[in-house]
Amino acid sequence: MEPITLTPPPAFGLTAQQLAWLTPYFFVLGGSCLALLLSVYEATKPSISVPATIILAFLGGIATTLPLIEQPPTLLFGGMLIADGFTAYANILFLISAAAVTFFSRRYLLNQDLEHTEFYTLIALSALGMMIMAASTDLVMIFLGLELMSISVYVLVGFRRNDRRSNEAGIKYYILGSAASAVMLYGAALFFGATGTTNVQVGAIRAIQMGMGQNALLIAGLLCILIGFLFKIASVPFHMWMPDVYEGAPAPVTGFMTTGLKAAVFITLLRVFSSMVSVPALSPQAMEAFQNVLWVSAALTMFLGNVAALQQTNIKRMLAYSSIAHSGYLLVGLLAGPQSHDGFSAVLFYVVIYTIMNLGAFAVVSAIAQKGDTGLELNDLSGLSAKHPGLAFLLAVFLFSMAGIPPTAGFTAKYYLFYSAIQAGQVWLVVLAVLCSAIGAYYYLRVIVQLYMREAIAGSPLQNWKPSRAAVTTALAAVILVLQLGIYPAPALKMLRLGPAEAPAGGAPAEAPGH
Amino acid sequence: MSPEAIFFYLFAVMAVAFSLVTVLKRNPAVGAFSLVLVFFSFAGIYAILGAHLVAALQVVVYAGAIMVLLIFVIMLLNADSPSLDMDRTHWTLRALSLAGCATLFAFFVWAFQNGSLFPQPGQFPPQRVAELGGSTKLISYLMFTEYLYPFEVTSALILAGIVGSVTLAKRQKVKRGKA
Repeated sequence: MEPITLTPPPAFGLTAQQLAWLTPYFFVLGGSCLALLLSVYEATKPSISVPATIILAFLGGIATTLPLIEQPPTLLFGGMLIADGFTAYANILFLISAAAVTFFSRRYLLNQDLEHTEFYTLIALSALGMMIMAASTDLVMIFLGLELMSISVYVLVGFRRNDRRSNEAGIKYYILGSAASAVMLYGAALFFGATGTTNVQVGAIRAIQMGMGQNALLIAGLLCILIGFLFKIASVPFHMWMPDVYEGAPAPVTGFMTTGLKAAVFITLLRVFSSMVSVPALSPQAMEAFQNVLWVSAALTMFLGNVAALQQTNIKRMLAYSSIAHSGYLLVGLLAGPQSHDGFSAVLFYVVIYTIMNLGAFAVVSAIAQKGDTGLELNDLSGLSAKHPGLAFLLAVFLFSMAGIPPTAGFTAKYYLFYSAIQAGQVWLVVLAVLCSAIGAYYYLRVIVQLYMREAIAGSPLQNWKPSRAAVTTALAAVILVLQLGIYPAPALKMLRLGPAEAPAGGAPAEAPGH
Repeated sequence: MSPEAIFFYLFAVMAVAFSLVTVLKRNPAVGAFSLVLVFFSFAGIYAILGAHLVAALQVVVYAGAIMVLLIFVIMLLNADSPSLDMDRTHWTLRALSLAGCATLFAFFVWAFQNGSLFPQPGQFPPQRVAELGGSTKLISYLMFTEYLYPFEVTSALILAGIVGSVTLAKRQKVKRGKA
């Protein structure tokens, strides 16, 4: 009997260019392993070395990704890792988010008696999961990346081990998240059964070639996968877990979840969605059914998120509901993407802006938070502008931006998003979205009223306390970006115009079907 | 009915029945042992499909190692009495969840009745696997060639799991300066 003669091992034949694409991944994985080793020496007395190592690894990852943006797209590991400009942008976004969170959380952790070096390692591993997930359309890799990202975050959510709310949040997120992963995995199995491949792009091409646009197995599989994604970005009706989890998690972790994690899940959803749409894999009726599912989910998400946020008195919980509302806007952009002129660039721009403004807002919230994340009720914030005018101004800019008020980037992002949705003919959805934004303005402005127009309560913990310099620096950088992108967004929009990946191996280009 | 089909239905019914027992029984030891039987049924189904290595691993790893750990945990925590009041669930909630399950079941019945499997055989039908030296050899080869990337990512995933569980379980740091 002859020995095994299969295809030659592709992993060992990486070209220099392909290795360059892997360098950011090596940086992040290596950084987290190095941080683990350093933690052994730092076990008794945590010092700056572990977070510094992690931040350096993130910066190294960003620095090695930057020259790759202009590189021609390639496929690694038989299409399990798609290396294109979209991947590069996504990786930079995740790494910036993770680096910023690491940067401003050290002081927070020290203040809260939570300083364990594992925190930073878990952030790094989670970022690695995001990078893996968003760079693939292979369901195996999407699932592995999703799990790597989620498992690290489950632990980070329950990081305040002595606090009941943090424990509850961790357990809740873990159980519900696992259920969602199981649904997604089941969907992947059905997809494999229907198309004989786990790669969504290949599957889409096979589906169109063999005319299985009406195949119920394929539709059921895609629906399960979609439900998994919708759960992770907390869109209605899969949003129940989110307020409790966001409130119970330590503030920087909440910031990480609303920025990096959400962007990662959304970008992956965008990749999967666009590869199903660009090759119209499903029959028009099935496609319409999916669009209706997304339409209803987007409408409900915007509406419920904004209405529920109205009643919140805790700023962390309010930002959680506002994050649900923003998921709704993102879904509007996703729906509109295939039929608008600029494709998905409007929604990508929104993801970037949303990430920046949320990072900034959570940097401020982490700086304000007292021990055990108390002191985050709206009343506690009253009169902050008198004592800390700079900090109050920073928070106010982020809230204006989330409400979508010019000249902040939040306005520009919403404008482009709704404009692209109008182009796609989703007029009713845009009307609803604008109405919901108007509701949203109320609760964002309410915080600003507290900051600027109320007297400070005597004995407020904010009276004699100094905000951490790292958090202020992060927030300041975010404010500069928010204002700059709000006033002059053209270069950023131009950069994001490329949209997600082409079909594998030079197949059909990812052009949206004209309507 | 072919013998494969008979054994498939046997194992499938066993898997479903014992997973129901796992979920519904309050005694955690009963739940754990039902879970062993669920894993055995899965192993049986894998064996019918010709995936003998996976079947063996299922028995050794899941039904063996992981279950031993689980039973250790149950014994260490002395968790034989439920700590939660489970009767508090409102009947509307129960009715809603039952309705949800029924809808989901109907949806999957529809999907499996109207759907069709991918018509072409896979890359490795049983005969080809036998030609290439059996599933163990083939899986080992593929794991380190075609599937090297997921294999390595899995190791990062396990690392995250280890770091996470240590973080949650390790002894609380005693603050210096306090007795």
